[in-house]
Amino acid sequence: MKRFKTTKGLIGIVVLLAIALVAIVGPMVIPPDAATAMDMHARRAPPSLAHVFGTDQLGRDLMYRVILGARTSLEIAVSAVVMSIVFGLPLGLISGYFGGFVDNVLMRLVDTLLAFPALLLALTISAVLGPNVQNTIIAIGIAFTPFLARIIRGEALKVTQMPYVEAARASGTTDGMIMVRHVLPNIRPALIVQGTISLAFAILAEAGLSFLGLGTQPPAASWGLMIQASRDQLDIAPWTAVVPGLAVALTVLGLNMLGDVLRDILDPRSK
Amino acid sequence: MTYVINRLLSVILTLFLITLVTFAVTNILPGDVAMMIMGTQSNPAALAGLRESLGLNDPLLVQYAHWVTGLLTGDWGNSLIFKKPIVELLIQKAVASGIIVAMSMTIALVLAVPLGVWAAVHRDRWQDTVSSSASLLGVSLPDFFWGIVMILVFARALGWFPSSGFVEPSQDLWGTLQHAFLPSLALGLGLMAHLTRMTRSTMTGILSQEFIRVARAKGLAERTVIWRYALANAIGPVITIAGLQIGYLFGSIIVMETLFGYTGMGWLTYQALLNRDLPLIQDTVFLIAAVVMLTNLAVDLLYVLIDPRIRLG
Amino acid sequence: MKDIVTVDHLRVEFSTDGGTVVGVEDVSFAIAPGETLCVVGESGSGKSVTSLSLMRLVEFGGGTIARGAMNFTRADGSTLDVAAASPQVMGGVRGNEIGMIFQEPMTALNPVFTIERQLTDGLMLHKGLTQQAATARALDLLKSVRIPEPERRLRQYPHELSGGMRQRVVIAMAMACEPKLLIADEPTTALDVTIQAEILALINRLKRENGMAVLFITHDMAVVAQMADRVVVMYRGRIVETGTVQQIFENPREDYTKALLAAVPKLGEMKGKAQPERMRLIGDEAARAAQAAPKARKPKVLLEVNNLTTRFPVKGGILRRTVAQVHAVEDVSFSINVGENLALVGESGCGKSSCGRSILRLIEPASGEIKINGNDIRALRGPDLRRARVDMQMVFQDPFASLNPYRRLKAQVAEPIQNFGLASGAELEARVLDLFDRVRLPRDFMNRYPHELSGGQRQRVAIARALALNPKLIVADEAVSALDVSVQAQVLNLMMELQEDLGLSYLFISHDMAVVERVAHQVGVMYLGRIVEIGPRAAIFDNPSHPYTRSLLSAVPIADPAKRRFADDLNFKPISSPIHPLGYKPAPSTYAQIAPGHYVLQN
Repeated sequence: MKRFKTTKGLIGIVVLLAIALVAIVGPMVIPPDAATAMDMHARRAPPSLAHVFGTDQLGRDLMYRVILGARTSLEIAVSAVVMSIVFGLPLGLISGYFGGFVDNVLMRLVDTLLAFPALLLALTISAVLGPNVQNTIIAIGIAFTPFLARIIRGEALKVTQMPYVEAARASGTTDGMIMVRHVLPNIRPALIVQGTISLAFAILAEAGLSFLGLGTQPPAASWGLMIQASRDQLDIAPWTAVVPGLAVALTVLGLNMLGDVLRDILDPRSK
Repeated sequence: MTYVINRLLSVILTLFLITLVTFAVTNILPGDVAMMIMGTQSNPAALAGLRESLGLNDPLLVQYAHWVTGLLTGDWGNSLIFKKPIVELLIQKAVASGIIVAMSMTIALVLAVPLGVWAAVHRDRWQDTVSSSASLLGVSLPDFFWGIVMILVFARALGWFPSSGFVEPSQDLWGTLQHAFLPSLALGLGLMAHLTRMTRSTMTGILSQEFIRVARAKGLAERTVIWRYALANAIGPVITIAGLQIGYLFGSIIVMETLFGYTGMGWLTYQALLNRDLPLIQDTVFLIAAVVMLTNLAVDLLYVLIDPRIRLG
Repeated sequence: MKDIVTVDHLRVEFSTDGGTVVGVEDVSFAIAPGETLCVVGESGSGKSVTSLSLMRLVEFGGGTIARGAMNFTRADGSTLDVAAASPQVMGGVRGNEIGMIFQEPMTALNPVFTIERQLTDGLMLHKGLTQQAATARALDLLKSVRIPEPERRLRQYPHELSGGMRQRVVIAMAMACEPKLLIADEPTTALDVTIQAEILALINRLKRENGMAVLFITHDMAVVAQMADRVVVMYRGRIVETGTVQQIFENPREDYTKALLAAVPKLGEMKGKAQPERMRLIGDEAARAAQAAPKARKPKVLLEVNNLTTRFPVKGGILRRTVAQVHAVEDVSFSINVGENLALVGESGCGKSSCGRSILRLIEPASGEIKINGNDIRALRGPDLRRARVDMQMVFQDPFASLNPYRRLKAQVAEPIQNFGLASGAELEARVLDLFDRVRLPRDFMNRYPHELSGGQRQRVAIARALALNPKLIVADEAVSALDVSVQAQVLNLMMELQEDLGLSYLFISHDMAVVERVAHQVGVMYLGRIVEIGPRAAIFDNPSHPYTRSLLSAVPIADPAKRRFADDLNFKPISSPIHPLGYKPAPSTYAQIAPGHYVLQN
């Protein structure tokens, strides 16, 4: 097991663990109605001892809402990335391993999909399906699949040309077993790196979708939704934008740091 | 010559596939389009009327053929919300967005290339750490967060630029540029962070190659080695990567134009999606995908001009 | 006369995450004007670090000169300590008074600049020439390195030139300012043997004409024997032995030098011997003496290949249609007897590897017949083909790529056995143990991963994996080419020992004529997809009859300073392209038998 050589990776992991902890444990610990309780006397209250991160236009405590939002945002991002892996991995693996006609057809399709900006595709799918949490996951998951398929295909193609795959074929290993025993383990590093980076993008995409009102819907709390609500009160209550904005930034930063370090460790080409 | 014909055929095939995907995404996914447009509470007679007028009762294949024929003959249909021919709308908005895309790309490239080279040259030293941390932070912030910061600082606090709106370039070009500047800067900074990282990794790869060592062995000054020998090799890949970001930009302008009330393609797309204006959605989504694809093609051809290995090979 | 360079007690350090690593320690030598000093050593010996230090290029790779002096006599007669010189001063020395050429001609030239630009920028910088004067000089330089059509080359880009031509351009670049010292760091390692011969001859001529000194870095003792006036032998960052080339080759003092020399096969040393012989290894004399006399067995054909043809499509256009074909293997026929070796030799791109892969049907031949034990491989489909591969296995060149980095060695050696359900549980374990014993690997290696092993050890694992199915034929595709010479000898001896014990046959694919001369029973020389000459090893080496075989043999460096062969300019015929348009119908291969079993291609 290789040790993490840089503090960057450590910081990334600590940040991510903290956020994950907040997202999972937070909603169970905080008072049940804390995030929805409105305090009409303290609307748009700046950060204070009573409300550490301040309150929003309805007098709701921003700290509690950020914690609830963490759960929604992470849930959507993780589910969407898992979905894109479930579709993209077999697609890329088959395309890269078998090559030829199958590869030509599949990659032509993937290239076409890549011409659609991911955010546009996700917005359109979400608008067509009707915006809610589940459809946001589907929208982002579909929009990310072509990227993943492309990367997996490239890696699979590379691995397939390695002598150890040829040796396995020469010693009578079937195609299925070669993919499981030899190709999959060798594309795993790329998959982990890409998964981490995709998670960062998914968090940003969810925020963008919700910001435009085509993602998570009120009264649910999500970071993008909070930023959207802050738009009309930027002058008088900038913290309502800064708090969820920083939450997004911190999470994505943590993921990108981890992604960078994982790439250095797992991908010998970058050394 | 055969190369050009082949590329052309490939473009036509991809355009065809783009129409298929666009149509599939907007039509085949579950959901009643008429209800989506008018809402679940609307009366059945009105719904039926809308279905009829949109041709929603025809088989999907007929609807598709009708739409594609329209695209080919220049009849792109009418927008339901703007009550105007879509072609007219798109031409006007495309100019507005073209300005933003060009400006943000210029800002990003002008800043990212020197910064990325600087980081690669000082690899693993403080300069690299500073540049890498800054660009890491840059790619981690949502664009609209930058947009909000821009509005707060440059529009509200300093009052240097308008915080929202759009002016027709034919009326007041200077005004257009002023309105476009903040959204472009916000987009450009995020893009810059990304391109800095890419430039750094491309340059790092090039600097480790044998011909760089050979150039040094010739006694060339280090700045010649880096800014001539190495950069000449990096410019192709960096432009390719920048070209791929056009797609990302066309996604981001939806958010940014909406935030700044800048009435370009992104804003139009958003209005279409928000109001479930199906004909407008189809046409804008198709147009954006087509533009992204053609830009990537243009970048490919540019690369051919830059890199002698492809030019003559 | 004053030495060009004297290096005194040089120590170079590299700082890594794991602390300071010493690159070279206490290295001292001197080079006289007009002399060629060869620094020889295996990988990791510090020979390249030494040469890069002399150019002060080692700093760009993260190294620092921690101790020592490198006194260089400049053109004006003054002495400069390179170790202490400022970057500005070094800029005036590099490329001007010291020229350098590197190993990889394919990547040594800037791909986006013309040859002219790369040849002239140094001239304009150091000699203050105008563009026109520099271009004129560049043209002269290209002529002096004997590049055909020099005017046209000036306007070309590197990718339009072959590897050999690129190395000539790199040499022309290094010679541009008429340096007094040329450093050549493995300049021919990446090149085919005929091109190597040309480049070595070119360096010799330039040295003679310009009276410059040469510091020649190499791992190849045969090249040392051909090039050196004096030799420095390095091992693990230190100098083991220094001496004239005659002293080193005829009377080496140190054990390391002796071992190094013993492991090098010398072309021609097998004259008059009928059977292959194991490689010499110091401390292994007993084993060699114990080499069993070959069992007298009736020659029985194991593998028979008739009219084998393999082509690769060259795709183009939007529909990725085939627009041309690479004629990789063209009408090739041969046979291998049980317990014998056939070596296929030739230069890169001649089709020898494609031939080996075609026989295992790892790539699909276009036509021809492949029979192993009378079993027609080409007629088999699906599961039958899988089963037939039990008889034939393959060992690949790159020991780092031929094992899956993410699986334990045990699993990789066991995989073939599991594929056919030949054994499981304790029996499987026992068979894997036995295989590790056979290839002389410690049993506790079984639970390791490939990255924990050296190149030679990995190659042993690859051999164990190939043996797992008890094959009758092993296709060894450059199986020892990537290994250091002493390790190469050990692996070759292992292969020969396994052959004696198990009655294996090898199809031994190699570019190394000296190795082939020791190990092969039969030799086939390939050129442009065809076998141009085939026959018993002694016949091929003693009486080479095809012009290509002759030029190939004349280009091989011999590890004996008394047999020098690259004094004069050499120019071999460039290899033409095996790519032909779709409808192209090549003539069949017809052979003349000039001695029993010795066939030569007729054209």
